[in-house]
Amino acid sequence: MASIADTAAPRRFRIGQTDLIQKIAIATALILFACALFAPLIAPYDPLAQSLLSRLRPPMGFDRYASGHYTGTDELGRDVLSRALYGLRLTLTLAFAGAVIGLAIGGTLGLIAGLRRGWVEDTIMSLVDMQIAIPFTLVALLILSLFGSSLTVLVLVLGIAGWEQYARIVRAEVRKLGALPFIEAARAAGAGPVYTARHHVLPNIVSPLVVQFTLAVSNIVILESTLSFLGLGVQPPQPSLGSMVGLGRDYMPTAPWIVLTPAALIVALTFSVQILGDWLRDRADVRLRDR
Amino acid sequence: MIPYLLRILVKAVVTIFAIVSVTFIATRMSGNPIDTFLGDGLTAEGREELIRYFQLDRSLGEQYLAFLRGALSGEFGLSFVDRRPVTEVVAERLWPSAQLLLASVVFTILVSIPLGVLAAIYRKSWVGSAVMVIAFAGYAVPSFILAIVMILTFSYWLNWLPVVGNGTALHFIMPTIAMSGVLIAALTRFTRNAMLDVLGQDFIRTARAKGLGEARVVLRHGLGNAGVTVISVIGLQIAGLAAAGSVVVESIFSWPGIGQLLVNSAIGRDYPVLQFGVIAVAVAVVAINAVTDIAYALADPRIRLARS
Amino acid sequence: MFRLMLTTAIAALPYAASAQEITVGAANMAPYLDPGRDHSNVGSQFYYNSFDTLIDRDHTKLEPEWVPALATSWELIEPTVMELKLREGVKFHNGDDMTADDVIFSLNRMMQATFPPYVVRAKDRLGNFTHAEKIDDHTIRIHAEREEPLWETLISLQQVMIIPEAYTKALSGDPEVAEDSDYEAFALAPVGTGPYAIESFQPGEKLVWARFDDFWGDRAPLARVNVVQIAETASRVTALKTGEADIITNLAPDQLSLVDSDPNLKTEGSATALFHVMIMNQNHPKLQDPRIRKAMSLAIDRDALNEALWLGKAVVPSSHTMVEMGALHQPDLVTFEYDPERAKALLEEAGYDGFEITYDTAATYYTNGLLAAQAIMEMWAAVGINGKVQVRDKWSGNDPEMMARNWSNPMYFADPFGSFGVMWAPNGPSQSEGRFNTDADYAEKWERFRFSTDVAARKEAYREVMERVKDDPAVLPLYRPFESWGMKQSVNWAPMPGHIPYVLDFRAGSISLADS
Repeated sequence: MASIADTAAPRRFRIGQTDLIQKIAIATALILFACALFAPLIAPYDPLAQSLLSRLRPPMGFDRYASGHYTGTDELGRDVLSRALYGLRLTLTLAFAGAVIGLAIGGTLGLIAGLRRGWVEDTIMSLVDMQIAIPFTLVALLILSLFGSSLTVLVLVLGIAGWEQYARIVRAEVRKLGALPFIEAARAAGAGPVYTARHHVLPNIVSPLVVQFTLAVSNIVILESTLSFLGLGVQPPQPSLGSMVGLGRDYMPTAPWIVLTPAALIVALTFSVQILGDWLRDRADVRLRDR
Repeated sequence: MIPYLLRILVKAVVTIFAIVSVTFIATRMSGNPIDTFLGDGLTAEGREELIRYFQLDRSLGEQYLAFLRGALSGEFGLSFVDRRPVTEVVAERLWPSAQLLLASVVFTILVSIPLGVLAAIYRKSWVGSAVMVIAFAGYAVPSFILAIVMILTFSYWLNWLPVVGNGTALHFIMPTIAMSGVLIAALTRFTRNAMLDVLGQDFIRTARAKGLGEARVVLRHGLGNAGVTVISVIGLQIAGLAAAGSVVVESIFSWPGIGQLLVNSAIGRDYPVLQFGVIAVAVAVVAINAVTDIAYALADPRIRLARS
Repeated sequence: MFRLMLTTAIAALPYAASAQEITVGAANMAPYLDPGRDHSNVGSQFYYNSFDTLIDRDHTKLEPEWVPALATSWELIEPTVMELKLREGVKFHNGDDMTADDVIFSLNRMMQATFPPYVVRAKDRLGNFTHAEKIDDHTIRIHAEREEPLWETLISLQQVMIIPEAYTKALSGDPEVAEDSDYEAFALAPVGTGPYAIESFQPGEKLVWARFDDFWGDRAPLARVNVVQIAETASRVTALKTGEADIITNLAPDQLSLVDSDPNLKTEGSATALFHVMIMNQNHPKLQDPRIRKAMSLAIDRDALNEALWLGKAVVPSSHTMVEMGALHQPDLVTFEYDPERAKALLEEAGYDGFEITYDTAATYYTNGLLAAQAIMEMWAAVGINGKVQVRDKWSGNDPEMMARNWSNPMYFADPFGSFGVMWAPNGPSQSEGRFNTDADYAEKWERFRFSTDVAARKEAYREVMERVKDDPAVLPLYRPFESWGMKQSVNWAPMPGHIPYVLDFRAGSISLADS
């Protein structure tokens, strides 16, 4: 998914000039982050607490509404809203963890590829090519179905999902910078590669990495949700947004709120984070903006 | 050109070999088919007997060599579960997947190229904005949510569309749309950008200056030139979409495709089916990538030179 | 029973054409069809329409009433030998006449099994039979090792349904010899004598039955039946609503109102002759003290599970017996009960220090299985047990690390031997998987229960076996799940009390279609 986003949109685009959409999206993203952060304070109920006597109750405003369960209860009488909030928290935590791992792996390899030429660079770049070529969702599914869905395996899989984008960005920036006079100067002055990387390269690639990181969070949210939807990601009773949709789909015709509440959150999250990423790209990329 | 082709071919073979070997080892390290699909109600002797019967008592190396020998002579073995040749099991799943893929590619092209062109022409008005919001939505809405909301609406509430299998043309509508979301988003954005590029170039200005109508300028000159890039992008995207997006859609719509088969045989540790299925998908993906590479090279001599 | 995990999708779902054709949307389609080797809940749906046993029973009745099938009469000529007269003029679906040789072949492929999947099945239920022998073209004898109290019951098992000898042997390799590969090929192209021939079979996807005109008994009421797998529950219900399917299987209680509220549709269901059970590992280092396992069992309010998850339609048993078992059904025997106070006291006595007890379940296989697992964790928490659900699609019953998990004990035939007995015999599957122990005393009680010819003696011995289970529990039957089928109003079909679980019986008298 990450690869499609990037190959298809080689340069920024903006939603016309409608900054209002961007403002709304950014506000939404911030609210969702806050909800995830403060889920234990906001959630009206314990997300795991069951009440077998009030199962499958509809949201506020419908018949048989169980007071206090604003978006209804699920098949074990748990509060859907509380589960969705905790699910959002877990989903975002996983997405950040995955994005950080991807950044660490990809950033390191990209830096190495950029600084060291020759076979090292060739090897790393053919790994990048392979990663782009293979359908990663399928690979992730196979890994999880073979090795079981522990949180560790899941986080690793999510981390591997997008490393190649960071590697490409870092390598490209490093090579571009490498040709610039001040790096040459530093090198001539006897600075080692590590010193060069830390003091000259890193500060210059922070902004493209921030943009990529944001987009990666959105992509990983989709990947995690998809895996959990298929029952191969987060395992019950722990809720993630995707697993709530996956487990709730049997109740879709009778109790659609179980599915629609987390589904709405997923869409709101990915949509707003994508636009946030785009906005960051516009802000960060001075050269592009001025062109 | 020849060395370049050779390089692609060697790379493809090495890639497939690596993928298959990794799959082989990973499956055998991760569990035992007897415990998974013949699980309960087995006595200990019965279990031993079945392990011998499926030849799983041999060492990993022996099994691997036997597998390679078989593969070289075109023998990929029998499914552990239904004991049919895996080539047959996999082959009957490839066509439905290919059909669905084809349907979504056609659908994507029909939707995205007009949308992308519109977005480029009207980039300063609300039309362009609306189109790009749709493109964003394609990324943001995961296919399983799209699928579920469609089923709820069109099958459950309205009773318009069937939800199970691939029997009739009607069966294609929802799976095709669910599969195409990401692709439409990507291609619309790409078409728009390619058009913007082309429309800014000199020969378009010349065409306009010659007094050609705007529609003709856009269609003949703009789209004609942007088209080359657009088509090559489709090629690149197909490979990824082919196997990945389809697993979700296939499982929701009970579509008898290859994605579901792979995941189910991984869960059930049906090694022979999984191995051959992975080979089939790997060959397809690698082949599409290679063809795209070659097409690029043919279209653009600079690439050919740069790579060889 | 643990599912055959390889559920797959269906190929095509034709709209039902004529009034004599129906489409069944099944939650699962079998990966192979061989009545001898199969004992899954998936496969048992399909065999009765295409295969016959020598002796059958009147399935409309709960009490066993044996009726002639491929054998027209039978008698015990010695306590260990039964002689059966075979029906004449019976044809297989491929046109072959059924002969005594076919019958001997079918029986001995199980009773003297060499093909490993047959060996496994033969041991756990047909172990007392040594062989079958041909006397003349229409007479055969079956020999038992010991006096057998369950002759008719065991001769009417799905595993000893009759298949054609020549056809099977010719499927692969040497046409004169029965090779393993013949049995494997048979499972993909099965042939029997029943009222419906299997016209096509796509493993895991689809099965088409066509009426067999040369059937020896009453003509099949349907010309054609398409069974297609629709794994997703919501899709199955939707398929019924859109008319893609005429009957759908495995409707969870929560979906009943949905179907019943549609004026064109209805549901039929019954408490299936099968227990969803919780098993506990007697040999797990932390669970060796029986008091802890007793507490795990006593803490579970099975009636509450029934009310909440099954709308009160399931049946909660007090011992491992069922009403189908006739004289051996013992409703007054209290082996399993709910007593949270005692559970707490036992935990206290055993010095339980709050260690985590895991409970494994597959994600979707057992209706309400995952829900019940999560609810049980709450009930455990209420008495102080620190439980944790582990969702694993792998069978963990043979894993020494397994502490507790769900399972089912189907009634393979109408006797405690056919349900509790198959799974919990000395040296049976539970013991050989290492999670259940027996000793000489248990074996002695077991032998009296299994082989006593006097029903009262068997009953008493079974009571003693249940006492042993109570004292050192390895299993708790949760309930008989209420299984439902959804169908169009025009379909007259319902599960019958004399069948084993899940059988889709479409024989004459079992199904009819109202003209619509």
